[in-house]
Amino acid sequence: MTDYQGYMGKVLFVDLSKQTYGEFPWTDKDRRRTLGGKVMAADILLHHITPEMKAFDEDNWLVITTGPLTGTGCPNTSRFNISTISPLTGILTSSNCGGDFGLALKRAGYDGAVITGKSETPVHLRITEKEVTFEDAGKLWGMTTGETQKNIHRTHGMLAIGPAGENKVLYACVFSGERTAGRGGVGAVFGDKKLKAVSAFGTKLPKIANREKLKELNVKWTKLLQTHPLTGRQLPRLGTAGLVSPMQAHSILATKNFSAGRYDDFEMISGEELAENHLVSNAACTTCVIRCARMCKVDDKVVKGPELETLGLLGANILNNDIEKIIRWNYEIDELGMDSISCAGSVAFAMELAEKGVHDFGVHFGETDNLSQMFRDIAYREGEGNYLADGSKRMSEQFGGEEYAIHAKGMELAAYEPRHAVGHGLGYATSNRGGCHLNAGYMVVVEGLGLEVDSLTPHGKAALAITFQNLMEAVSACGSCLFTSYAVLPGFLIDKPNMKATRAILTAFPYVGPVVNLLNHFTKIPQMNIPLVPHGYAVKYATGMRSTMASLLTWGTYGYNAERIANIILGQKADADKLPKRLTEELQDPNNPKTKVPLEQMKKVYYRARGWKKGIPTWHRLKSLGIDIDKSVYDEALARAWR
Amino acid sequence: MAKVTVKLFGVYRMDTHLAKAEIEAQKLDELLEILHTQIEQKAKSEGTAAQIKDLSFKDATIFINGERCRKRRQKLGDGDEIWILSPASGG
Repeated sequence: MTDYQGYMGKVLFVDLSKQTYGEFPWTDKDRRRTLGGKVMAADILLHHITPEMKAFDEDNWLVITTGPLTGTGCPNTSRFNISTISPLTGILTSSNCGGDFGLALKRAGYDGAVITGKSETPVHLRITEKEVTFEDAGKLWGMTTGETQKNIHRTHGMLAIGPAGENKVLYACVFSGERTAGRGGVGAVFGDKKLKAVSAFGTKLPKIANREKLKELNVKWTKLLQTHPLTGRQLPRLGTAGLVSPMQAHSILATKNFSAGRYDDFEMISGEELAENHLVSNAACTTCVIRCARMCKVDDKVVKGPELETLGLLGANILNNDIEKIIRWNYEIDELGMDSISCAGSVAFAMELAEKGVHDFGVHFGETDNLSQMFRDIAYREGEGNYLADGSKRMSEQFGGEEYAIHAKGMELAAYEPRHAVGHGLGYATSNRGGCHLNAGYMVVVEGLGLEVDSLTPHGKAALAITFQNLMEAVSACGSCLFTSYAVLPGFLIDKPNMKATRAILTAFPYVGPVVNLLNHFTKIPQMNIPLVPHGYAVKYATGMRSTMASLLTWGTYGYNAERIANIILGQKADADKLPKRLTEELQDPNNPKTKVPLEQMKKVYYRARGWKKGIPTWHRLKSLGIDIDKSVYDEALARAWR
Repeated sequence: MAKVTVKLFGVYRMDTHLAKAEIEAQKLDELLEILHTQIEQKAKSEGTAAQIKDLSFKDATIFINGERCRKRRQKLGDGDEIWILSPASGG
């Protein structure tokens, strides 16, 4: 139970081995400390994991969480999160997902669900207000993500895996409708537990502490999002696909396994091409006012179109200029239930290994006719596909090519080539879940794609990366779409890039790092809410909890540090924040010595500002944030990390 | 006069329905004026009012041969390729 509104007050605990369920203890003190979403999940896992625990252990928990804003009617708040130990990286992963499941889970009366154990036979976990049932999923096993969901009650919010999850492809994902909890292999953990699907249904709604104020705020918030240049114009008009062209212009479009930042045929795989010749309609997650999703046709079916990551990584990065193929592959990969980023990254790495004569996996740059078959082989772990199903890090351990295996902590990088956006490179390296652009702090949005802060200078990047990492962590904890955090960037700085004032402000940006770092360290300073980040107001009005900008930054900082120390306990080494040598030692432009990621230089500033010693939060830092773990556990983890 | 290729991207392209144009001009500001006129004429002939608000492209992010250009008086050379991107491209 809870005294706060906005929450349902219960977290479900399910044991698949015993086929039992009950309530997971979660108090208001826990809610105040973590808010919800991925921060809540990190806290739950931090207090459960042990150093020996692995992704496919019976007691590796799947933690599905919503935020206090999920189901409150605030714009873009249908999100939920799935966290677990990743089979791809061996450390925590967390996937923020749209779709309908988060809302349905709350309507069934739960803020989250903790799932342990393994079922002996395929199971569909059905959660309703009255009961939780373990339904036989034998008939669903083997079905694609789309088929599976079609065969579950249509009124229910759903989660489902496809063949890739069943076959434990290390980057298998979980689908809710057409949206994906994509990264880190949460689908493989589902598959290992024989958990084919989870559905939720109910009629409950969270109570709201101050309905009038929240309604008023929602009107303003919707207007803010719909008039902001990024969320109101660019994303609805072109979707994330609209980034291909600006990425080309700014030399950050990953090309030929990240050996370059520009692709001659970029226009053929661009957002403009998608919009003009392939778009059927826009689509949106429940409660979304941005509507960035693209619907396209494959054969006679209208399906989810590719996002920027898929366009870039199955386009420029493998030297393919056929957008129709990308649309089709995107659909096939979704149906098989795989993360298209890691899948495409592994394919590109395989292509380079083949080109260098190391091993021929049957896939080659610029040759695309057999890729549909390769995706199927990966999902079913057949033939050479079995190697690619383990991701590029493991492939490099077996075949070599570590310096051009494009991953961080075992997770393949997103489509942004960081040698021309060095702060983004720092983000990739320090991101807790590995090579993810969002957990990285999405620095490209200030390094060219939204604002034009000098993308090659290391100055100020550590401070900005920390701020955005913490802010996005908090926004995710609210149950909000990460795109809502873009509104923090003042519209005029984006809309008027050539104005003298804009240029002066952006030129000064890298040099205000020390000031920004003060805020990063002393998160309790901004004891007020700001209109550009309405999440603080929304949490206050929805839950009745005291919530300001300081609270958001504190929750974000707590989450980022909790995830980090959890990773250290799981065995992450002190030197794990790194990038492949291609990105830190080879120049993207041989004539410009700045076009590589000066990672070590930025990391020093980053760690100092975080209160970390060589990538590990100090005991003092953990205590100051209220992260409560045993000193003996910390000391042991530290010793292992340094070994 | 330099003969250059102009390409429009982002919201500019969606609004003007113009992807590419071949234009002769000496300097960038002159080129942008010609482009402005061409877009207006195209909209008139097609019976569609151009929805584009910033027809002077003063807020555009412009690249010449792949290099960011902020000088409106920039001299153009034969065969140059000009990319005109709308501001705000994050996502």
